[in-house]
Formats: sequence, C-alpha cells, structure tokens
Amino acid sequence: MADVDMASEVNGAGHSWAAKSVEGWIIIVTGLNEETTEEDLQDLFGDYGEVKNLSMALNRRTGYVMGYALIEFPEKEQAEKAIKGTDGTEFLEKTIKTDFAFAKAPAGGRSRAPVSSSGPRRGGRDREASPGRR
Amino acid sequence: MATADLERDPFYLRYYTGHQGMHGHEFLEFEYSHGRIRYANNSNYRNDSLIRKEMFIGPAVVEELKRIVRESEITKEDDVAWPKKNVVGKQELEVRIDKEHISFETAKIGSLADVNESSDAEGLRVFYYLVQDLKCFIFSLITLHFKIKPSEFPFACLDESDVS
Repeated sequence: MADVDMASEVNGAGHSWAAKSVEGWIIIVTGLNEETTEEDLQDLFGDYGEVKNLSMALNRRTGYVMGYALIEFPEKEQAEKAIKGTDGTEFLEKTIKTDFAFAKAPAGGRSRAPVSSSGPRRGGRDREASPGRR
Repeated sequence: MATADLERDPFYLRYYTGHQGMHGHEFLEFEYSHGRIRYANNSNYRNDSLIRKEMFIGPAVVEELKRIVRESEITKEDDVAWPKKNVVGKQELEVRIDKEHISFETAKIGSLADVNESSDAEGLRVFYYLVQDLKCFIFSLITLHFKIKPSEFPFACLDESDVS
C-alpha cells in the first residue's frame, strides 16, 4: 500500500493524507449548480463505484442547493477515481471541485491546537464583550 | 491549499448553544481550528450522555466552511442589538476569517418569529441561517464519518429542533 501511495504522490495526485471513515471513504464535491438533484449526483458518481451514502444540503434561507455534497464509496480506489474523474470538470454548467473530505491526524497529534482554544469552553462563564466591532 | 498549510491558517470557528437547568449543563458545541473539528453534545434529559467527537478534515472541506461563512457576510453584523442571553440559555459564535474576528453572544432563538421581533431582525436573520447551515454541514460530516445512527444523533439537517 505504501508503494501505491508514493507512486500516486509522484503523479501529483497523492492522497496519503486522506482518512477512512468508519465504513468507507467520503469525498466532498463543491461548486454545485443550485438546482442539482441527488439523482444527478448518483448518476455522476455511480460510474466510479457503489455510492454507499450521499448527502446534499440545502440552503436554509433559499431552499436551493447549498453547493456541496458528501459522497461515500466503500473503497479508496473508487473514491480516488471519482476525484480524478470529476475534479475541475464541468457539471450542470458549473465547474465542480472534488476531494477527500477527511484527513488523518497530523503527526504530533493534539499539540498543534493553539493554547487559546485548547478545549471546548463551557457555558455559564462570564465573558468579555465581543471584540472587533467597527 | 495542502493539508500541511491548514496548520498555519488562522481560520477559526466556534459555535456554542446551551443552558444551565434542572438537567444540569446541557449544551452543544463545535469548533474548527487548524484542520480539526471538535464536537461536543451534552444532553441529560433522558439519559446521561456526553458525546465528544473529533475529526480532521481536508482542505476542500475547510474551503467550503469558509465559503459558507464568507457568503453569509456575518462579519459585517454586530450583536449589540440582539436579544441578551437569558434563563433559557445562550448561543455564542466566534469566527476568525480574513483579518476579521467576531465573537457574538445572544439568546437562544426558537424560531424565525423570534428573529423578526428583534430590533436588528436583518442581522439576527443572518446569524440564524448561518448557524443552521453550519450545523447541517458539521452534522453531515459527523454522521458520515462516525456512522452515528439518527437515534443517537437526532439533529439532522432538516430538523429545526435545538439541543434542548
């Protein structure tokens, strides 16, 4: 597997950073036409493998497509082919972008979070007035 | 932007909604920072359950998160005229993006009717919809990544209900 990752890295399409989710590989597609339907996406991505899950959000204000969708494939290879085949292409008159959604934890893990946000803050505390008003 | 660049990217996002009540401190919070999303949800109503999840996201997800924040134009708003936190609880939204830094606090918003009653209905509406869209995005990511069943995670995108 390591050899495969290295080879694809050389080709500029390395996805060694991508992380597997519990049941498969999730990719994100962005830049969708606001009238895209789930069927449109099923048709597009179904060519690369079995789409196990497809989640496309609607804009809460307008009711139109938010612009992104999350798609799950069982195998990494299928997800990679889907990315390669669709990223930067035109779909329903819009240029879409496709990539893996999740990444592996960086080496060194938790240390890279800034101290100022080193843990979810609890409610009920006093807080300062909002900064940055202008 | 590559994954390594996310470490240097100052983009930051945190949302909190919660209250202290007869069931203790019940809250929902998510935070994005340096490629990582952290999520916590504590609901003591039926069963004592604190859910904590952490996940690292790729550059494409980060860019989409930023786009949603930018297009909302939330950084042009001001929370000064929004309803103050009360016994029902409060919401907080902190965003650092593109040299802007906002940290808003307001009461929980039950529905759009609450928004329309505000003296800054337009600004509060921006906040209200942005929070909905962010929640939807974060919950979709968590649901797919961890395969949390709807029964354990009853905050689907189309569900208007809040944490309480």
